[in-house]
Amino acid sequence: MNRRLFLSAGLIGLSSKADRRIEGGFVFEDQKTGHLLRDRKKTLPRPAREVRVPVVIVGGGIAGLSAAWELDRRGFRDFVLLEMNPRAGGNSRWGENTISRYPWAAHYLPVPDHGATLVRELCQELGLLKDGAWDERHLCFSPQERLFQYGQWYEGLEPTGAPGAHEQYRRFEEAMSGFRVSGEFTIPMERGGKPSELDRISMAEWLRRNRFDAPGLAWYVNYACRDDYGATAAETSAWAGIHYFASRAPDDKGPLTWPEGNGWILERLLAKLGRYVRTNALVYRIRKDGPRMRVTTPEAEYSAEVVIYAAPTFTAPYVMENAPRVDDFEYSPWLTANLVLDRWPSERGFEPAWDNVILRSPGLGYVVANHQSLATRSDAWVWTYYTSFAEGAPAQNRRWLIEHDWTYWRNAVLDDLARAHPDIRQCVRRVDIFRIGHAMIRPKVGFIWSQQRQAVAGGKGNLVFANSDLSGLSIFEEAQYRGVTAARRALRRISRG
Amino acid sequence: MPFLLLVSVFLIAACGLIYELIAGTLASYLLGDSVFQFSTIIGSYLFAMGVGSFLSKYIDRALVARFIYLELMVGLVGGFSSSLLFLAFAYTEAFHLVLYLLVILVGILVGLEIPLLMRILKERFEFRDLVAHVLTFDYLGALGASLLFPILLVPKLGLARSALLFGIINAGVALWSTFLFADQLRRRVNLQIACALVLAALLGGVGLADRISDAADNNLYADEVIFTRNTRYQRIVLTRWKDDVRLFLNSHLQFSSRDEYRYHEALVHPGLAAVPGARHVLVLGGGDGLAVREILKYPSIESVTLVDLDSEMTRLFSTQPFLKRLNHGSLTDSRVHVINADAFPWLDTNAKMFDFVVVDFPDPTNYSLGKLYTTGFYRLLARHVSRNGWLVVQSTSPMFARQSYWCIVETLKRVGLRTYPYHVYVPSFGEWGFVLAGTNSYEPPAALPGGLRFLSASNVAELFHFPNDMTAVAAEANRLNDQVLVRYYERDWRAIAH
Repeated sequence: MNRRLFLSAGLIGLSSKADRRIEGGFVFEDQKTGHLLRDRKKTLPRPAREVRVPVVIVGGGIAGLSAAWELDRRGFRDFVLLEMNPRAGGNSRWGENTISRYPWAAHYLPVPDHGATLVRELCQELGLLKDGAWDERHLCFSPQERLFQYGQWYEGLEPTGAPGAHEQYRRFEEAMSGFRVSGEFTIPMERGGKPSELDRISMAEWLRRNRFDAPGLAWYVNYACRDDYGATAAETSAWAGIHYFASRAPDDKGPLTWPEGNGWILERLLAKLGRYVRTNALVYRIRKDGPRMRVTTPEAEYSAEVVIYAAPTFTAPYVMENAPRVDDFEYSPWLTANLVLDRWPSERGFEPAWDNVILRSPGLGYVVANHQSLATRSDAWVWTYYTSFAEGAPAQNRRWLIEHDWTYWRNAVLDDLARAHPDIRQCVRRVDIFRIGHAMIRPKVGFIWSQQRQAVAGGKGNLVFANSDLSGLSIFEEAQYRGVTAARRALRRISRG
Repeated sequence: MPFLLLVSVFLIAACGLIYELIAGTLASYLLGDSVFQFSTIIGSYLFAMGVGSFLSKYIDRALVARFIYLELMVGLVGGFSSSLLFLAFAYTEAFHLVLYLLVILVGILVGLEIPLLMRILKERFEFRDLVAHVLTFDYLGALGASLLFPILLVPKLGLARSALLFGIINAGVALWSTFLFADQLRRRVNLQIACALVLAALLGGVGLADRISDAADNNLYADEVIFTRNTRYQRIVLTRWKDDVRLFLNSHLQFSSRDEYRYHEALVHPGLAAVPGARHVLVLGGGDGLAVREILKYPSIESVTLVDLDSEMTRLFSTQPFLKRLNHGSLTDSRVHVINADAFPWLDTNAKMFDFVVVDFPDPTNYSLGKLYTTGFYRLLARHVSRNGWLVVQSTSPMFARQSYWCIVETLKRVGLRTYPYHVYVPSFGEWGFVLAGTNSYEPPAALPGGLRFLSASNVAELFHFPNDMTAVAAEANRLNDQVLVRYYERDWRAIAH
């Protein structure tokens, strides 16, 4: 193997330096549909058809589908789910080529502990959890993570550092254990969470106050914030930062993952609930109509008793009259890219893992989609590359994301990967890019326990919000919890008549 | 000047003999039966030299220039002969044809050399001295070559590089002759350019083909490398020392022909002989067909399914005469079905049941191979074993990798199988371990097939006793999401290496 690597390096040296042709383009481009709401509302066609239905769910991501899942399993089948895109799935959408399936955004589900009852119920239904044991085929295969530092790969994600750093990692872990047993940092967050002073300071400030100053640890915590919240530790609420580390006590080594990421769960939900889903149905107006609600799409106008609004909450003012105030809801833009490789790049150190992170890179690393394969060998791979735009103002970053063409972003991705894989351009033959303007809610300082978030989340009446942003945490579990909770509220409302 | 001319004779004589020796050695390495190979090759070579000598009379003009071109041709053909033969063996079915064509071609060219040179030199010597001196240096060259070949060339350079080196000497003689015979040559520059091109080609040959494969292999392996091939999945290397042929996959020893019977008898018979009337057997890995050879000793066998990732490997062991002799042609038996696939996904998409399963994978040296030793894999595998059947797993050494071995036992137990660990001493490997696993209680078989060299009904039970330095140690089960085995294995072998 070493000799072959040496040989290939030699041959690269001999071959011309000209980069090979790399194909690809942008995918989905949801903003083209979404911006119709923002820019040209009046030109949208008036529907010719009217449909009366007790419940309408708006948005076909995990929150909307979970609302549908709950209604359906309670035996309530008189509802529709409206999705603006040709395919439901939101952040769990996925793709497929001849090599593998691959995720477009959300790519794993942490092993839910006993407190996350709803997630465990779903896992049991999907056969992931049987008689209290997890099916290891759906747990991430070894090795799970590696980090590129000092010119080579190391197992695990925590940077090695000065002798004192080890002590700080230990102390940090102890502090997190303390928060874990406090019962305040739970999944779903509403179960144990309560207004906290920790929400008033940033994660970076919390580290400072507790004398965590090892550069490796600071990088690691900042990486966690960028990865989970699309924000730097300096902007992330300490409550949210701690929640990431302290909210889970899994009963097996995870996470749960699949080549197509959470698309695996999505497909199973859609197999069961697809009959309620209307795709290409952009909801552009929601208004009160006496005791009922009218939901307008270009194709049909729905008259419903209750509307579950599972689309991102920030869109509400573009769609409805008298929308609640949502100006505190701030979202991080993301870029994900799926790369097709027909040669594994040359590299040194620990062998390829599922999640591969480059120390001090602007990106978040890449996940090997076909890592989760039973095969022992492969001669082509799909890498899903992630980066969140954590630094700077989100709106400005969104403009940056939209203004530049595919070649620009492709080069940005390859330049980042070249830090660890100098010959990446000789290995990649395709790069497809997904620009996600509002990828995830940003739990900035003060947001988690803000009046505004709590008001929208606790909303009453016949318009119920359901997106994961109501939790301030953009994770599968919160999306599912919000969806299910909204469905239960809708049912209560209907039963009251 | 006369002496310098005779040095050329010495050199080209040495080259001529070297090419002959290389062809003979390669043929006996690759085909076996060295007496036959050497006899026929020397015979054909000498005969071809005679043809060359005869043809020399048709060359009547520009003798020196012709001689120089002749040297260049000998250098090229002879120099690349060894590499060509290796390639022919690896990539064609026509090794014999290529071998004898090359021998005859080189022989004819070499046969032309001395008569031509004698005619060139005839002006400068008395006929009596000419014959005496030329033949003296010719035989001296042969002596030098025949001593150099076994003592220095084969052990230090290997066959491919030796041939190239002597090709360079031929081309060097050609280049040198353009200076020696400057007065008899027109268009010297053209000749010198030709010499430079041939030298460059041969040097390139040394730099590339050679450094890549043979040099490294000959450093890596103690014995002469007789065959190498890079497949999509691995590097296959065969070495030979006297009658001991060894197979290496990615530098890991797979078997030695001297004692592989111990390994393969122990792998197959304790389990298979305990399944009366076994009809369908599955072999995972084991593309060398040696386990299949043992399985076919049971008359009740109706089908053997061999799943090995590497089609080149199974093809090699189904076609090469020497390797076929070793596995008794097991892979071409009509009961044997060879499937080239990755074992885990293949099992996952297959519903067939087997009375006996042999799991003979490479050791868990990395996380990819480690998947084949997990609870996930064994759980799936157990579903393919019939109710009274057994599966056996090659499980690395309980002596050198003790915790790894007992980890595999623990992993099999974890999926609800009853395990019966055993071990055998294989001189080229050391103590080696296997685990029988099934749902029943195991009793060593009362009878074994005839013709076994190592096992007998009376010594099977002994394999299941572990001396104190190999008894069970605590180990976690190996799971897909937590591959402890790869870490145990690395630690175990590191402890041996230091």
